[in-house]
Amino acid sequence: MMKEQVVCKTTDIQPGEMMESFFGKQNVLICRTPDGEFYAFMNQCNHQGAPLDKGMMCGATTEHSKPGEYHYCHKGEILRCPWHGREFDIKNEGRMLANPDKKLPSFKVRVEGVEVIIYK
Amino acid sequence: MPKKIPLVDTDIHERVQYQELLEYLDEPFKHYIQNCHWIQEKHMPYTQPSVAGVDRADAVIPDGRPAGSDLSFMQEQLLDDVGHKFGILTGALDPSPSSMHGWYEMAAALASAYNDWQIDKWLEKDERLYGSVHVAAQDRDEAVREIERVGSHPKMVQVLLPIDDIMWGDPYYHPVFEAAEKHNLMIGMHHNEPPVYYGKWPRYFIEWHTLIPTAHMKQVTNMIFNGVFEKFPNLGLMMIEGGFTFIPHMMWKMDQQFRDLRHEVPWLKRKPSDIMKKHVRFCTQPSEELSKKDFMSLLEQMGTDEMICFATDYPHWDYDSPHRALPNLDRELKEKIYGENAKKFYPKIPNSRERYDEGTSRL
Ligand code: FES
Repeated sequence: MMKEQVVCKTTDIQPGEMMESFFGKQNVLICRTPDGEFYAFMNQCNHQGAPLDKGMMCGATTEHSKPGEYHYCHKGEILRCPWHGREFDIKNEGRMLANPDKKLPSFKVRVEGVEVIIYK
Repeated sequence: MPKKIPLVDTDIHERVQYQELLEYLDEPFKHYIQNCHWIQEKHMPYTQPSVAGVDRADAVIPDGRPAGSDLSFMQEQLLDDVGHKFGILTGALDPSPSSMHGWYEMAAALASAYNDWQIDKWLEKDERLYGSVHVAAQDRDEAVREIERVGSHPKMVQVLLPIDDIMWGDPYYHPVFEAAEKHNLMIGMHHNEPPVYYGKWPRYFIEWHTLIPTAHMKQVTNMIFNGVFEKFPNLGLMMIEGGFTFIPHMMWKMDQQFRDLRHEVPWLKRKPSDIMKKHVRFCTQPSEELSKKDFMSLLEQMGTDEMICFATDYPHWDYDSPHRALPNLDRELKEKIYGENAKKFYPKIPNSRERYDEGTSRL
């Protein structure tokens, strides 16, 4: 397994968007949150294996909501699976909102100039 | 390398677009859609708030047409990719002839058009696909006529009835079962709107979706206690998209009630649970996440491993992956749940035990 690799250019992904790429043979998902930061996960849902790049980056109703009253935030920082809709917090290690003990396998990312690099 | 298992997928939703039905519709019904833009009224007040609503986001056709509406895309994404042996089409339910709450003439016309379209565009285009006869069963006599018209098609394996506001075990509907039995068709039941309690929706989608099995339980109870399977001994009932973990509860409950209240339904000659074991099957989807131990103990409580049949429910959002939805089971059990049980249940599906090396899924 290679140690590091350029997976895309910073200009390939606008803030709030994502794309799939490859890290060696591994299909990975690069997410760019609205603040411009990059994150990388395995592009496969840890539930039944859906391709996460077909899902969406959105916000979420939070645990501060009360019965009958929605509290919504983390706009653009939540990755939502295209199948059963499980939500993963991009900025919190890819943890599942309904069960934070479960998280998406992730990769380290650094940006050098316009290159987005994933490394182990 | 693991040997391949022939997969029979008991719930695949093909979808028609109203425009496509036109060539199969007679006047004046064609006119209502073509010139008056009629579409069936639907009521669901909520959705699965994901990218493609109640469909898998990656199943939407690349040109923008809705999920399930294109055979070649379905072949590529599902049938070829997973390696289906057979798949049973169960309709997209929109329009849903059987759950039209009025205007039965339109419902019956839609059912006929839908069946002709299904045969033409799907059943005769892919040998793996089998189909469901759509009927407007609220008009019992029209339904019987439609079963007589298309029920003998070699690839039609069941008559589809919605789980809605009609309890189908009522003797008034028995001619539908008589016609089905005559053509070697089973009955498939799938919930529609509103399936959970009559006339109303719960406040949240999560409540509705959690409680769907209760709507299935009502129909199974109703069919058994109304004596449908005593009257039509060759008939079977496939419960589609309600899951299976409630089966032991139903068996125990019905048997216990039967011991106390048998006098009311003296036409039952067998224990309700025995009738269920023989005549009723359940699609596994949507499956809860069970450990192998929990799964095996559930089967033990059912007293048989032949009552459940695997289904994906493609292309809906709660699709079950054949590779990931159930725990990893022993080979013999896998063969039953992923294929043999369904093949045994549907008399019109080829039932030879095949060689496990061609065109079949690696599970
Ligand atoms: S596969 Fe992602 S939520 Fe089920």
